Amino acid sequence: MTPIEILDPTVEPRRQPLTFVARPDSLKGKRVGLVENTKFNSDRLLHRIGEILINDYGAAECRMWRKHNASVPAHAEILEEAKRTVDVVVAGIGD
Amino acid sequence: MTTALASKRHVVADISLAMELCYERGWTDGLPVVPPTEPAVRAMLAAAELEPDHQIAFITNRQVAVTAEKVAINAVMAGCLPEYMPIVVSAVEGIAEPVWGYHGPATSTGGAAVFMIINGPIGPRLGFNCEDNLFGPGWRANATVGRAVRLVMRNVIGTLPGLLDRGTIGNPGKYTYVIAENEAESPWTPLHVERGFAAGESTVTVMSAEGPRQFYNQLSSTPEGILKTLCDDMRHHNSTGGQPQYVVVLAGEHMRTIAAGGWSKSDIRKYVFDNTQVSIAHFKRTERLPGSVTPQDETTYKSLLAEPEDVLVVAAGGRAGAFSCYIPGWAGGRRSSRSVTKLIRERRA
Repeated sequence: MTPIEILDPTVEPRRQPLTFVARPDSLKGKRVGLVENTKFNSDRLLHRIGEILINDYGAAECRMWRKHNASVPAHAEILEEAKRTVDVVVAGIGD
Repeated sequence: MTTALASKRHVVADISLAMELCYERGWTDGLPVVPPTEPAVRAMLAAAELEPDHQIAFITNRQVAVTAEKVAINAVMAGCLPEYMPIVVSAVEGIAEPVWGYHGPATSTGGAAVFMIINGPIGPRLGFNCEDNLFGPGWRANATVGRAVRLVMRNVIGTLPGLLDRGTIGNPGKYTYVIAENEAESPWTPLHVERGFAAGESTVTVMSAEGPRQFYNQLSSTPEGILKTLCDDMRHHNSTGGQPQYVVVLAGEHMRTIAAGGWSKSDIRKYVFDNTQVSIAHFKRTERLPGSVTPQDETTYKSLLAEPEDVLVVAAGGRAGAFSCYIPGWAGGRRSSRSVTKLIRERRA
């Protein structure tokens, strides 16, 4: 039998460093942004999280944005407004 | 000078062990693959006139560059002939377009497949089926081109079922999902010409899509009659959620009846747009919207589509039989994933 040499069809994803902003020590007085992903009840869940952050953790206020749909990242307008108007953001993938 | 191939090499004792190695490494869709040897991969690249390190696409969310070499390896594994390679390349370019939105349809619990429609002279020349058993097995071009794209998604982009492909019930179209338009018998303008290409050019249209829904109408001899039945089925799809785009595939008998009535593809699109609305009351009664039904809900309607152009009409399928079908796209909104038509470049000059 003749040995056979085959080529690997896979690739390794490109590695890249990701830098995270330092987390605040406390939420006291912080403005919180909530990013809603359009799935059923995700807004209700985030509203409840916002209430807890204000009542139990002393956050100053909450505001919410809605993505175009669940499968895309938050669009540019959300990111620009969040940078200007809030200190921390809560986002998640709900289904 | 020939550019060296960059891929890692694996040596095994014979061809059957090579096929088993592909299984062991998780490189197949469950069916056996053709072992990708260098001569076979070189033939694939030569047919598309591409250097191995040529970047065909970059998938942003995965940070993966899809090179011609990797596409060629997976096309060999899928069983493609070298002359299919330009089609696979164009299809991969299509699913990497931002408006196609790779991340959503590739990963979603909604289970979309990549539906492909071949137009232009390349369809009949390479033997793409556009007639009987349109979605059935038996045609190498239809079977292997779609399979090659799925293997690229799996092996190069990392769209692995159960990991980054989380389709709840999935879709048999994830093996392959390729048709050609029957331009020889169609009375209508081909899809690619409607989308701005010349009739003599060849294209592949890629759409993220659910499976085909067949409908039956042997009674009517008018365009309205056949399309009334189609729209009744599509209203049902609207009431189960709806999708931003649809393909309507009209097979022989229905195609001839609708054309005999003098209707164009544009007329068909308008009729579908106008006749697929569903009342808010129906959504509430069937537990798809919360709340009790109000009198206003009975006369407030949700459109299936944002505009008539969201219906792609294709002439294809067997000559006999009073069946046609529609194919829902995928996603929750028009911004999620849009179909893309790409030119197939057989000669790059």
